[in-house]
Amino acid sequence: MKEGEVKIIGFLCNWCCYAGADLAGVSRFQYPPNIRIIRVMCSGRVDPVIILDTFLWGADGVFIGGCHPGDCHYMQGNYYAEKKIEMAKRLLKEAGVEPERLRLEWVSASEGERFAGVMREFTEEIKELGKIKFEKDEMEAACIAAADYRLRILATKEKELLEEGNKYGEVFTRHEMNRLLDDMVREEYEAKKILLKLKKPKSVKEIAAELNLKPNVVFRHIMDLRRYELIEVHEIRDNTPTYVAKVEEGGE
Amino acid sequence: MTEELRIGVFICHCGINIGGVVDVPAVVEYASTLENVVHAERNLYTCSSDGLESIKSAINEYELNRVVVASCTPRTHEPLFRATCEEAGLNRYLFEFVNIRDQCSWVHMHELEKATEKAKDLVRMGVAKAALLEPLEELTSEVTPSAVVIGAGISGMTAALSIAKNGFHVHLIEKKREMGGMLRRLYKLYPTEELAAEFLEQRIKAVEEHERVELHLSASIKAVEGYVGKFKVILDENGAEKSIDTGVIIVATGAKEFEPEGLYEYDGEKVITQLQLEEKLKRGDSKLDGIENVVMIQCAGARGEVVGYCSKICCMNAIKNAKLIKEANPDINVFIAHNELQAYGEEYELYYRDAKKAGVRFLRFPLERRPKVIKSEGKLVVDVFHERLQMNIPLEADLVVLSVPLVQNPDAEKLSKMLKVPLGQDKFFFEAHVKLRPVDFATDGIFLCGTAQGPKDIEESISQGYAAASRATIPLAKGYVSSEAIISSVDEAICVGCGICESVCPYGAVEVVETEEGRRAKVTGVKCKGCGTCGSSCIKRAIKMHHFTDEQLIAQERTALVTEEVVS
Amino acid sequence: MKDRAVLVIGGGVAGMQAAFDLAEAGIKVCLVERTLSIGGRMAQLDKTFPTNDCAICILAPKMMDCYRHENIEVLTLSEVTAIEGEIGSFKVKIRRKPRFVDEAKCNGCGDCARVCPMGILNKFDMDLRVRSGAYIPFMQAVPLIYALDRDKCMRCGLCEAVCGKDAIRYDQKPEIVERNVSAIIVAIGFDPLDPSGLTEYGYGRYDNVITALEFERLICAAGPTGGHVIRKDGKEVKRIAWIQCVGARDTRDNRPYCCSVCCMHATKEAILTKEHYPEAATFVLYTDLRCFGKGFQEYVNRAEDDYEVKYIRGKPGEIREKENKNLEIFYSPSSDRVEKLEVDMVVLSTALIPSEGVEALAEILGTELDKYKFFKLKDSYNPTETTRAGIFVAGYCQAPRDIPECIAHGSATASRAMEVVLGGSYDRRA
Repeated sequence: MKEGEVKIIGFLCNWCCYAGADLAGVSRFQYPPNIRIIRVMCSGRVDPVIILDTFLWGADGVFIGGCHPGDCHYMQGNYYAEKKIEMAKRLLKEAGVEPERLRLEWVSASEGERFAGVMREFTEEIKELGKIKFEKDEMEAACIAAADYRLRILATKEKELLEEGNKYGEVFTRHEMNRLLDDMVREEYEAKKILLKLKKPKSVKEIAAELNLKPNVVFRHIMDLRRYELIEVHEIRDNTPTYVAKVEEGGE
Repeated sequence: MTEELRIGVFICHCGINIGGVVDVPAVVEYASTLENVVHAERNLYTCSSDGLESIKSAINEYELNRVVVASCTPRTHEPLFRATCEEAGLNRYLFEFVNIRDQCSWVHMHELEKATEKAKDLVRMGVAKAALLEPLEELTSEVTPSAVVIGAGISGMTAALSIAKNGFHVHLIEKKREMGGMLRRLYKLYPTEELAAEFLEQRIKAVEEHERVELHLSASIKAVEGYVGKFKVILDENGAEKSIDTGVIIVATGAKEFEPEGLYEYDGEKVITQLQLEEKLKRGDSKLDGIENVVMIQCAGARGEVVGYCSKICCMNAIKNAKLIKEANPDINVFIAHNELQAYGEEYELYYRDAKKAGVRFLRFPLERRPKVIKSEGKLVVDVFHERLQMNIPLEADLVVLSVPLVQNPDAEKLSKMLKVPLGQDKFFFEAHVKLRPVDFATDGIFLCGTAQGPKDIEESISQGYAAASRATIPLAKGYVSSEAIISSVDEAICVGCGICESVCPYGAVEVVETEEGRRAKVTGVKCKGCGTCGSSCIKRAIKMHHFTDEQLIAQERTALVTEEVVS
Repeated sequence: MKDRAVLVIGGGVAGMQAAFDLAEAGIKVCLVERTLSIGGRMAQLDKTFPTNDCAICILAPKMMDCYRHENIEVLTLSEVTAIEGEIGSFKVKIRRKPRFVDEAKCNGCGDCARVCPMGILNKFDMDLRVRSGAYIPFMQAVPLIYALDRDKCMRCGLCEAVCGKDAIRYDQKPEIVERNVSAIIVAIGFDPLDPSGLTEYGYGRYDNVITALEFERLICAAGPTGGHVIRKDGKEVKRIAWIQCVGARDTRDNRPYCCSVCCMHATKEAILTKEHYPEAATFVLYTDLRCFGKGFQEYVNRAEDDYEVKYIRGKPGEIREKENKNLEIFYSPSSDRVEKLEVDMVVLSTALIPSEGVEALAEILGTELDKYKFFKLKDSYNPTETTRAGIFVAGYCQAPRDIPECIAHGSATASRAMEVVLGGSYDRRA
């Protein structure tokens, strides 16, 4: 794609939205040429990590297209997709990116005209938002947070928690669920930002200053990261420990 | 991967459909500059026999090990190109399709330059994915050539007999001592009014006499293991444990009549259910000596009173019993208080009219004002609000008959857990797709029929019995089941056995099992349909969805977003 | 050795299901379809009750599976003209009408359709859209092969000139092919009744009285109006009424039966209307609401509670057209009153009747029809077998049933045919 043009990546499920996009073509419904479509078998396949990676690599908008609720070729894949995309949106917000840049739509195989309409509308919206802007560190933190097991559990278990309750039989209300999600996403995101900062050894105070977080919050995250052996004590400087991220075997 | 990548790219003009918008020669030239591409060419129609030949000869000439075709849509043409690759000795999954017609030239007809740019991007993305493709094989697994049918009511008997006639051994499992299910309790059948006992006798005989039907009476299911083609069903048959190997399982466990305890003064004597009435009639009591007024109440406990649904068969059943009483003894007054009357289909409307002609009286009440049964000093009065007259009509009754709905058997939940197949909100077994797969479960190799799936009449139960037989015969006749090649797999070194994947898989294809290393998820290839939801849900990202791997999808999006012109 | 093959007549959902099951079990199937594409009536629907599944979305993959199956030979534009023999060895003659397009060459690009100067009403769209003389009935048609409408063609030669695949064949002739099969499954579906003869509804005379199947095309996003429900004068609808049992449960014309699907069909159309136009008022005028299937009552509850669909018991005695082309429906809700309902569109839930040509086919097959021209059964309660051994019947042409029942019925007859082919049960008492 040429510089200056907004870039949109679309992940479309094979059975409904991809077929709807084909029908738009067969019917010659025109829409702007900014989207590059990637076919997946089910919208449920689309991992938040991939979505955030797409933004990290410079997409101005990401479009996910699945079957209408109840139409999923694999029964519930689109339902799980919705939850994952909500999670990705929360992380985008944390990384300072407009969540509207990520859009999920249900488009059926017979909705060619609608697909073209959605494309026109979405491209227009992205054009209005302009080229994407973010701090690389922040988006990277969002990516790593999306890969973390805690958020992945939540994104998948949401339905169960809302409908059947947790292991104690406590059923969450929508409101409680939203609060839980907000809190967890922020926690994870902060933790991952700290982790990224610790590519070089730093003290709690230094991190708190750099990330504009309270030292006690940073300290709690540091304890957590140590528990999972993601960081280690680098040295003790004037009675103050500094920490550094453990280098993963093999590295990036 | 150690082998050198040799990618061939074929770009289709599709006459003027692509070529009239996209600058195809420029795309070909561009494609030939991409990494790993050793050959690029254009065809007027890649799908024509010329085009296909040229793919095959290029595979040989340039020793291609990946093929990319940029043309129309994989939804119509992927099978053709895959087959072509295979004919030239290339694994069919080393092919990648790029859609530059339906999703490019046709939708950007007035933006020639941008359409060409887009086509180049799409080809670049396709090549990037192609570089990461792996050869895949469809898995096959042998099928034990016999069937288990659970439940020997009319639908189960029908299914069992048909599978036997199709040439396969059938185990027909019934928890009671005799076959027949609910039909055993019926007096006559609507609309022919033949005796249920005679109807049943013929069918039981046919099942008993068939050499390939093995009956297991007084038997209950203890456990079920395995998957399509290789199930093991553990039975308790008359107290003895038995193990049966089977390729397929049919659930035909039927339903039962709702017990209207606490409703409409139900007492089992003066206020009874339709089935209790049938049993009375069957005992030869069809004259109902001493009874002058019979009132039947429809939807008792159904359509929002206790259960939400309409039970489909109660209207016709009530009409039949009312008509039989009336015809046996014209002096008895028979009333049916109903809301909507379900005399659907070809024959029931006429049967309903016949009942009217016979003198059965119909009163319609609104659903929000259901009839009340008042009992005082041994006398019964049914107070019905007449919808059309907009007034209450008290009907004296010597006998009140409640048309109660069919409900699921209490042991269905246990069975559903053993088989890992779902029940719906109405507690009936829930089929794979409400519209298109009425007798399949989402889990391969397990089928359902009859009232276990929801209330239905005898004819429809028989139809479903045959239908389940057909579906179940398929793997038996094939002798093997084959999976999709595009399935997921688990990296056991990363998996922690949390079971999230198991919870999202609608097919029971991923299960957590004990291994030497501890609990680990395991994919049963023949069950997997390749949606990939397990992969995107895996908390450790330990699941690989083949052909749509994280690496492949990431390669596609990143390649799309890289703006630098590729240096040739 | 008997022939390990089965003939299926009719490529709707029931026929496709029967063909697919048989093919999967390793049996060769010849699927004969009268029109250009398989898919049947379901392909014409926008959504399906009670889940509001998009009809073509779920049907199209099934159509492709059927067409691509190595054991299924799909013959479109074809009709059975004669059969000989008996169960286990029928010899069938099939007449294939010319498509005037080389099936092996056409790649479905549609170049021919774009240059063809002819404009012809498209039957698939209930004559609500004009197609060209070179056409496919709908975008997802299977096979995706164009055909020339020779009755209307003026042989201008443009299609031949633009066809890059050299696929146009003006000189194609009808041909007769023969197939040997062990069993036959008939699944020829239904036609909607033309309600012009029922004068009280004004269909054909009043602009805004349409049939339920016409409505289905209007509300379909891929339909002639792109999913907009518009009147003949171009206005979008605001008040719309469905009238049930038009020509059904009616002793006139010998049609006392209930078509089983129309109550839910109307409910679905009313719900879809509300989804498109939340402000619209929707009414269903009915006699008995037949909501007996799985999830149907719940669907009706949703229509009433969530979509404010108003159900009115009462069959209209008369409909009058006003000057502004609105319609006044007169009906009687109780024994002593007549009420009037004004709407801007009336949708008739017309009876669904045995397909045109059913009598001729029954004669060719040597099977009996019942008094309503549905295929007669050999045994009551066994809905699979016609009066002739080895010929089975699936779907609506045996008796009214909805889509899942048709599909189960299609599979059911497949098992009966398997009994013949795999089990060799020529003795019908076996």
